[in-house]
Order: sequence, then structure tokens, then C-alpha cells
Amino acid sequence: MFKFIKQYAESISGIDIYPIISLSIFLIFFIVLLVYVFKMDKQRVAEISSLPLDNEAPDQSKN
Amino acid sequence: MQIEKFQYDNQIVKNFIYATIIWGVVGMLAGLWVSLQLVFPSLNITQYGSFGRLRPLHTNAVIFAFVGNGIFMGVYYSLQRLCKARMYSDVLSKIHFWGWQLIIVAAAISLPMGMTSGKEYAELEWPIDIAIALIWVVFGWNMFATILKRREKHLYVAIWFYIATFITVAVLHIVNSFELPISIFKSYSWYAGVQDALVQWWYGHNAVAFFLTTPYLGLMYYYMPKAANRPVFSYKLSIIHFWALIFLYIWAGPHHLLYTALPNWVQSIGIVFSFMLIFPSWGGMINGLLTLRGAWDRVRDDVILKFFVVAVTCYGMATFEGPMLSLKNVNAVAHFTDWIVAHVHVGALGWNGMLTFGIIYWLIPRIFRTELYSKRMASQHFWLGTLGIIFYAIPMYWAGFMQSSMWKQFTDAGQLKYSFLETTINMRPFYAMRSVGGLLFIIGVILMVYNIYKTVKAGKLLANEDAEAPALEKNYVKHAGEHWHRAIERRPVKLMIFSLIVILIGGAIEMIPTFMIKSNIPTISSVKPYTPLELEGRDLYVREGCYTCHSQMIRPFRSETERYGEYSKAGEFVYDHPFQWGSKRTGPDLAREGTGNLKKTNGWHFRHFREPSSISPGSVMPAYPFLLEQQLDVSTLSNKIRAMQTLGVPYPPGYENEALGDLNKQANEIVQSLKSDSIQVAPNKEVIALIAYIQRLGKDISASKTINTNK
Repeated sequence: MFKFIKQYAESISGIDIYPIISLSIFLIFFIVLLVYVFKMDKQRVAEISSLPLDNEAPDQSKN
Repeated sequence: MQIEKFQYDNQIVKNFIYATIIWGVVGMLAGLWVSLQLVFPSLNITQYGSFGRLRPLHTNAVIFAFVGNGIFMGVYYSLQRLCKARMYSDVLSKIHFWGWQLIIVAAAISLPMGMTSGKEYAELEWPIDIAIALIWVVFGWNMFATILKRREKHLYVAIWFYIATFITVAVLHIVNSFELPISIFKSYSWYAGVQDALVQWWYGHNAVAFFLTTPYLGLMYYYMPKAANRPVFSYKLSIIHFWALIFLYIWAGPHHLLYTALPNWVQSIGIVFSFMLIFPSWGGMINGLLTLRGAWDRVRDDVILKFFVVAVTCYGMATFEGPMLSLKNVNAVAHFTDWIVAHVHVGALGWNGMLTFGIIYWLIPRIFRTELYSKRMASQHFWLGTLGIIFYAIPMYWAGFMQSSMWKQFTDAGQLKYSFLETTINMRPFYAMRSVGGLLFIIGVILMVYNIYKTVKAGKLLANEDAEAPALEKNYVKHAGEHWHRAIERRPVKLMIFSLIVILIGGAIEMIPTFMIKSNIPTISSVKPYTPLELEGRDLYVREGCYTCHSQMIRPFRSETERYGEYSKAGEFVYDHPFQWGSKRTGPDLAREGTGNLKKTNGWHFRHFREPSSISPGSVMPAYPFLLEQQLDVSTLSNKIRAMQTLGVPYPPGYENEALGDLNKQANEIVQSLKSDSIQVAPNKEVIALIAYIQRLGKDISASKTINTNK
């Protein structure tokens, strides 16, 4: 089965670059993301995370 | 700083809540009904009520009507509060609401009529597809305009999930719906065979990801903190959750096609990314559950939190199971069995269902300014729902394992131990138990309907809720600081563009090479276009939803090649618009039904369509007596041939004028052979075309074993 599939996957010129591209995009993306997240200002994070809670209209229900 | 007064629109929230409840009941009842049809095939009443047509109705109703309205109800309430602004336009809100309901009604009518494009979870025909795209844009427009006029500087993470949902669903829907109309209610998929399969499951998987998951995660990040009255456990984790999830999800589609004729490297990419998905998914689940840290005692008394805890737990179970099912060795066992049905229902009933119910119980008393009519009843709903999930899932898991083991069992002499029919008959008790689980779940929902009805009666809708907030420090008149504010204002747009780029990367890397293959695909010289009669028969196969129970994809396992013949090759499907590989084997695979030791006489098929159980005692296949009565509609035949030519199927030029003659000739041949089997039937009946198609299946390959590769 693999032989059967390989023969036309291989026939695309430069197919081997695809896994390398995907791996690099993936790694770079996550490193940048992690750096961004860990450098976030703590106070700002606290402020944003309480956003759903702070604009409650008078609550008449208690459930 | 100037304090601005404005009002939140609760009317639209109420409308979407009602729609969620009504369509939820409809979709779940449809599910219960089709589950009973698998136990009692006599419940397939008339052609409009046969399993193959109702099962798409069930899936579409639950996904797009129940969960769809659930998304909108949750988004319209939370978005206004998170942006400290009323929805941008009440008119757009209304168009969105009524447009979406009309689409659902159109689906509920057209699917039982047999109007289907034959692609799972994207069955709706092209006019409805266009309507969906338009209404979806209205939703996005309204949402973005609201975000742009917000009074809160920061975009809370829930809004990120909403934005990603909007943009990705738009891309998925448009790309997967490329189809060539041949009449007002019939079209052919633009793609064929392997490519159609890849696009379809790129769509199909991401419909799960971006319709059933990301918007609901957005809701979780809003309503969980609300109900627990404390901020989310880790906001930083939620950011990682968001980007990791949307980045990884888009690549995972090929795990639906493991061991198929899809190129192996695409399968491998799908596996790797599916497996990695466990990390963001569990990050999100943990984030949700740990939001309750220090408040777990409240879960005992607060029924809403109970619903949320079960929902998030089911999310965790389903997203653990998903990556496991993507591993080839697990997939080899689970694919095509009821295990997958169990898996999706843990997600649909548990994650989507329970979260929706929790949100409804939370919202209704708030917008109706009253208390919930009965907490006890809500608690009973919770237990019925939870038990329903368990009673549904466990028999299905059991059935899945059993089915798979029986399919793969060989005798000592090296022959298959069980016929397919024997495996089907063994499934029936489990199907019955599953229906009981579904029934429990629905009884819970009906309790909710009553509870909500009484609550609404006791309260009064606060249609426009007063609110006030300082204006965002922007003033279009003032020039000071304008540049900086503009940058912030643009952020949601940037966010959308980033999300778009992120999802396009995955889609592009997966698809471009597969489309490049088109010129390199190993053409099998013996694979020929369908004859006109076979083509018409194939359209009937699509119309009747045969793909909901029959696959046309033989995987390269001995247990399958022994049972069904030579494994399926990519080159065999080049003229299949749409592909019909299927995803479930309630019945046997049909890829080589017209060849080898699977080949049956025309008379066998005729009698089998009329009454399957008379030929195969114990079969749960619906009877199709109407195919023997109805005349084949050949009025669009020349359009169909022309459409196929446009799509690259090599019918000779001008063939559309000769097609009808060939069709009649082949039909008469079949009628003659039926006559020798003492069956009298007119050549213009639908069943003749379907027999022609079934008899064609797999023939190309057996005609010639030589495979020419264009190198």
C-alpha cells in the first residue's frame, strides 16, 4: 500500500519541503506565543480576566 | 470621563434561547426516531421517513439548529456585556435570527425530500448553502460592528473564540460548498474522489472544531466564571489554549480518512496534529474546571455548575478520545463502527448539550427578572441528562468493539468467521439500549421545557436592559491620541486576520499538494466514466443517503480484502462527484458490490430493495418499495452529462444528446435479465438505475489489473 501511495507523492517535485515547512511554522509560532504570554503584564491579565464579572446588572435571581 | 447610558438587547437573546430549545427538542426526537429505526426497520415509513434521509436531518438539526442557535444565544448575551455596548444593529440581529430559522426550515423540508449534496454535515443543496453564507456574513458584520463600537478597551478571550469561529466557519463552508448546479435543487461537488474526500473531512472535522467547539469554549470562558462568580483560573493559559487550538485543529481532518486511498503523508500530518490537540484541549478543560477552585462546595447546591462540570468533563473525555482514535492502530479498530457514534455523542450530548442547558438555566431568570420555577426539576434534568449520556455511550462503545472484533475474526481454517449480517444482528440489543439512553436525555430536556415555560410565565422579559459605562477614550472629533486609539480599534480586525492566516496555513499545506497530484494521480486505464443509467442510479444512491450506512472504501486489511475484495485505490474515484466513501458501516462496504464473490444477480437486488429482510433475514436496512413504483426522472440527464464534462469527466463531445438512448438501452437489458428471473418491471423505474449503479461498483478494477502510472 505504501509503495502505491509513495510513487505519486514522490512524483511531486519538492514534496519533501512540506513537512519541514510545517514543522518550522509550528515551532516558530509556538515559541513566539509562549514568549508573548509569559511577558504579559500581570496586572493587565488580572484586569482582563475579571471582565466577565464586573458589569453585572443588579442580580435578582439567586441560582 | 463621560459616562454613557445605553441598553442591552435581551429580546434577541430570548429569541435565540427559544429557538435553541425548540430545535433541540426536534433534533433530539429525530435522533431517537432514527435510532429506533435501526432496531425496528418497519419504522422506515414512506420514502420521506427512511433512515438515509432522516439521519442527515438529525445531524443537521442538532449541529446547526440546536447548537447553532445555542451559539448565537450565548454570543448575543455575552458579547454585549463584554463590549459594554448594545448589538450594533437590531435590524441585523433580526435578519440573522429569522434568516437562520428559515434556513433550518428549508433544511427540515429539503432533506426528507431527498435533496442532498451527499457530503456529511454539508448535505444541504446549493441555494441553501448560499443562504447560509449570506446569513453568516450578517452575523459576522453585526458582531464586528459591535466590537468596533465597544466601550471596553480589552477584548476578552471569549470574543477571540467568537471571531475565530466566524472567520473559520466562513472559509470552511465556502470552500467545501463549491458545487456545480444542474438544477435548482441538485448539484455536483466541484471536487472528485480523493480530493473531495480530503476537502469534505477538512470541512467535517473543522465543523466539529469551529462550530461545536471553539464557540462553546468562548461560552465556557464567559459563563463558567459568571456562574462560579470568580475569574477564569488562568487567563494566560486561555490565550495559549486559543492559539494552540485553532492552529492545530485545522490540520486534523485527514484522521477521518486513515487507511483510505488518501495519500499517506496527508494521513500522517493528520495523525500528528490530532495527537497534539490533546494538549490545548486538556489545557482548556483544566482551565475550565479549575475556575471552580475554592468553590467546589457550591457545585453541590448549584445545578448550573453541575451542568457545567459535566459539560467540561465530557469535553475532556471526548478530546482525550479524539487523539487516541487518530492513532492508526486504534483507528483500525474503531473506524466504521459504533464506537465513533459513542464518541460524537459524548461530545454532542455532554459538552454541547449540558453546557447549553446550563447557560439556558442561567440566562432565563436573568432576562426575565425572576427566579427559576423549580430548582428541583432542573436537578432532575441534570441527572436524567447525565444518566442518558451514560446509557447512550456505554452500549455504543460495547457495540463498536464487538462489531470490529467480529469483522476481523477468522476461523482456524483461515476464513472469516462471521457474515456481515451476523454482526448486524448482534448489534440490535445495543441499538435498543442506546435508544433508552437517548430517551432519558430527551425526558430531561422536556422537563427543562416545562421549567422554562413556568419561569417565563412568572417573570417579565426585560427586553432592553439599562446599562452604563464610560466611553472608550476615543473621540472621533478630537485628534489627540487618535493614532493610538485607532490601533486598538483595529485590533479585532487584526485578530481576525491572524486567525485567518493561522487556519489557512494548515488548510493550504494539506490541500495544495493533494490538488497538485491531480495531474500525477495514477490513472487506471480501465476506470471509465459512469454510463448515463449508472450516473442516474448514483444520484439515487446519494438521494437516499445510502452513504449513511454503507462505505465504499476497502481498507488494506486482510479482514477487509477477504470480505470485500481488493483494497480501494485513489485512481478508482476520479469520476466520483461527490465521493461516497461513507464513514459508518451499519451495512457492508459496497466498493466492489458488483464484482467478485460479492456479485449478485439483478433479481437479487430487485427483491432486496423491495424487502431486504426477505432476502437477508434480520437485516435492518429500510425497504425501498417506492423505487419500484417511481419513474426515473431523466429530464436533467443532458444537464448532468454537460456538468460532468465541465468537471473534467471525459464523455465524448456531444454525448449529452446520445445519453438518453444509451440509458434506455442499458435499462432494457436489465429488464430482460430480470424477466428471466421472473420479475416483470418497466424499464423506466428508479430501481433499474440503482441496480445498474450497484452492479457497476468495483467493476473497473477487476476488468483489468494493470495500473498505468503517468510518470
